[in-house]
Amino acid sequence: MTSTPSGSGLDVGIDAVDVRFPTPRGPIEALAGLSLEAPAGSFTVIIGPNGSGKSTLLRLVAGLLEPADGTVRVGGSAPRVGDGRVGLAFQQPRLIPWRSVLDNVALPMELAAVPAGERAKRALAALERVGLAEVTHLRPRELSGGMAQRAGLARALAIEPPVLLLDEPFSALDAMTRETFDSELQRLWMERPRTVLLVTHSVAEAVVLADRVVVMSPRPGRVVRVVDVDLPRPRPADLTGNPRAAELVAEVRAALASVRAAELRPWAEGAA
Amino acid sequence: MRRIGASLVSLAAFLLAWKLVTVLGGLPEYILPAPEAVAERAVGAVGSGVLWEHTGVTLLEIVLGFAVGASLAVLTGIALGKSVLVERVLSPYIVAAQAVPILALAPLLDIWFGGGLLARVAICALIVFFPIAIATMVGIRSADPLLDEMLRSLGAGPAQRTRLLEVPSALPVIFGGLRVGVTLAVIGAVVAEWAGAGSGLGVLINIANRGLFDTPLMFVALAALAIIGLAFYGLVVLAERRLVTR
Repeated sequence: MTSTPSGSGLDVGIDAVDVRFPTPRGPIEALAGLSLEAPAGSFTVIIGPNGSGKSTLLRLVAGLLEPADGTVRVGGSAPRVGDGRVGLAFQQPRLIPWRSVLDNVALPMELAAVPAGERAKRALAALERVGLAEVTHLRPRELSGGMAQRAGLARALAIEPPVLLLDEPFSALDAMTRETFDSELQRLWMERPRTVLLVTHSVAEAVVLADRVVVMSPRPGRVVRVVDVDLPRPRPADLTGNPRAAELVAEVRAALASVRAAELRPWAEGAA
Repeated sequence: MRRIGASLVSLAAFLLAWKLVTVLGGLPEYILPAPEAVAERAVGAVGSGVLWEHTGVTLLEIVLGFAVGASLAVLTGIALGKSVLVERVLSPYIVAAQAVPILALAPLLDIWFGGGLLARVAICALIVFFPIAIATMVGIRSADPLLDEMLRSLGAGPAQRTRLLEVPSALPVIFGGLRVGVTLAVIGAVVAEWAGAGSGLGVLINIANRGLFDTPLMFVALAALAIIGLAFYGLVVLAERRLVTR
């Protein structure tokens, strides 16, 4: 599927893209002149208020959307769905209910016409990496929320994509599970570095995971601030008490506050 | 075992009520024959081979009509479900064909299709078509858009998404349509035979009713149709249990 050796990643370059969605009341501008560089093997976390186009940004890199203007490059060429260069995991596990966990994880290889024996082997390997080797035969409805989410991650990892896109992958999980998953995600990435773009609403999660935190503005989305996170790895999932981490969290929070997203204002402001 | 017992009890109650109506109502045989008169006539019709001959013809019409109608309906339903344009263009004709009484159309179809088995299969297929096509369309559209986006992100094309997601998602609804359709296939076969056939249970009903004034024989033919309908309905339910895994 790809000639790039796993564990290196590809450069992702987004240059001055505009994205508009048609609505009955005229087009909505989702992204306006957004530019972003994610070097090969880097871990970029994208944070911003609701409706800032974070998911739209990932869909551009996945090749699910085309920009109205500007260019998107993955490893120097335009992204194309199904070419194996990009893996995408969603906020919901999005498993097919009538397929076993193994067959769900094997789906990307099935669509890429990988022979059956080979795809089962690779799906099993991906499930082992996320700790699901024991439940391969179960149906998705038999999994807990956290296990289903890990299966969704395994499906994205199964093709060993040089670029991994994660759209709020753990935001539906409880806080403790989420911290564990953040640590595991960091471990997976350190074992086999690749370019990761992760969307989150959690400033703490952003600082734990990111090489760089990209702060986006409300609609139309653009980059307002890039914060480099210079903490040594592996980082604990809970950085409370780390003075440098506290500074970085404050910096990201300040950037978020500066964009004055309507929903971040005090609720009673209008009434006053 | 208990389910079989309950079915037998309800059958016995049905036959008893039937018998009571004939006795208490003092109805003559040509209005409503008693159950034992029908049973006696059935034994005679089976023995003479008359029942088998007509049943075989009707069974063939039902099987072929249902197979042709259901296959075309599922394919059409997929096209209707996937494309709003196809639905806009085709649905007026499909609805109109359904709204026109099949009884009025059947004699024409009989002429158009040459009056033989082909004509009867065509009439049967037409009556089967509508509920299955509409059920398939609705089912195809019930596919989860989040799963559809997931498949698109993996590079799945329209045909692959239909096979991997839309048809499996639609199966429970399609089977709802098949259940309705298979019982309509029985009606379709009889209507087709009335439009001009030499044999079949529909013809037997006409002969018994209008020719011989043999009401018990007509009831034998009606019972045969009811049993055929139940049997095919049961087969659809069995297929549904095997194929729909949720």
